[in-house]
Amino acid sequence: MRIWAKQWRCWGLLMGCALLGSSAGVRAQDASSWKDIETKYIFGFTIGSGIGLEGEKEFTIDTIGRFGKRDGHYAATETKYEFEFTPTQFIQIEFGALGATHNISGVTDLDDRRQLAPSGAFGELRYLAIERTSNNPLSVTLAVEPTVRRIDETSGARVRNFEFETTVNADLELLRNRLFAGFNLLYEPEVTQTAAGDTQREAKFGGSAALSFRIASNVVVGGEVWYLRHYDAANLTAFTGDAVMLGPTLYVQFTPKIFMTAAWNAQVWGREIGNPVSLNLAEFQRHRAKLKFAWEF
Amino acid sequence: MSAVSMMKSMVLAAIGAVAMLQASPLQAQQAAEIHVTYSKGQFQPSQVSAPADKPIAFRIKNLDAKAMEFESKSLRVEKIVAAGSEGVINVRALKPGRYEFYDDFNDKARGALTVQ
Repeated sequence: MRIWAKQWRCWGLLMGCALLGSSAGVRAQDASSWKDIETKYIFGFTIGSGIGLEGEKEFTIDTIGRFGKRDGHYAATETKYEFEFTPTQFIQIEFGALGATHNISGVTDLDDRRQLAPSGAFGELRYLAIERTSNNPLSVTLAVEPTVRRIDETSGARVRNFEFETTVNADLELLRNRLFAGFNLLYEPEVTQTAAGDTQREAKFGGSAALSFRIASNVVVGGEVWYLRHYDAANLTAFTGDAVMLGPTLYVQFTPKIFMTAAWNAQVWGREIGNPVSLNLAEFQRHRAKLKFAWEF
Repeated sequence: MSAVSMMKSMVLAAIGAVAMLQASPLQAQQAAEIHVTYSKGQFQPSQVSAPADKPIAFRIKNLDAKAMEFESKSLRVEKIVAAGSEGVINVRALKPGRYEFYDDFNDKARGALTVQ
């Protein structure tokens, strides 16, 4: 059995346990009696507009796995060990360290590799630009996230990589306390210096739409779709391919201070410029998954 | 310009922009005070009101024998108020609407602020 399939089974088991653990809450309830929900993590890879509560601090472990290339075996993960806090009612700050794993064999253009390594550090600043009220269902947050890596996300090779992710995180409360729509706009330029001294510039640009339904006061399920474009230039001039990712999302609040979020996306459409194959597996992956646990204090 | 210095410049620019956005003249306004007591696991009064576009200071007096946590997702504040003490929670100037609050340690303790 492929290793990524085993990893998927583990993740599925974890999600099943999470749902079972929260089953006491999964029953017909009056949504009007539910407390408001923080929307930041209810949309999977799509990030909601929430910035937390003033004075709130949170530690999270956030793992993103990427699985499957055109040939061979490919499994890579990046985990954020993250501290976040909300110093004012409009700003949230996050920072932390990154760890990466790579398990690659027989993939064209990538060296075989099996490694686990600390891979970098990141910071994030989020500003709530439009706030939701009982009269306005829309909320919008602007976020910037500079990241420095010493391990290449895709190949696992030693590099010096600088990334500056910029996102617009918006969400709409469609049904009070029940149904939410989330939207992200992403621009992610990066520059990489390889061990051989080459400098590569690239960028991702895209957006997402997500729909999440609160089936119990502590459980939210949904789905999301992402459209992503890749460029071999930071200024979006050298288009190399694009992809559409689609999949389900899950959010479970175990206690008022502990929650998890999980998501899985499969590439359902993609193209590589100059290579007439289905899907874009050069710049993106066949599957990606996210699992995040958070402790507020 | 190297990649590192470019990153530094962009981060500083972002922090500067946010700092400017935070420098609102509304913060200089005097806050409207709302006095609420917490007794027998309930807010008294549980329905309060305040004017729009003016900062608010919640004064929560906890008369119970155990701590409570005043929290509100829509107000974006939380504060633990020890037993037998008073806590002050400062809230930004708000737009008209209804903002719910609760004791995070007690599901039954609910209240709402109406801003008009």
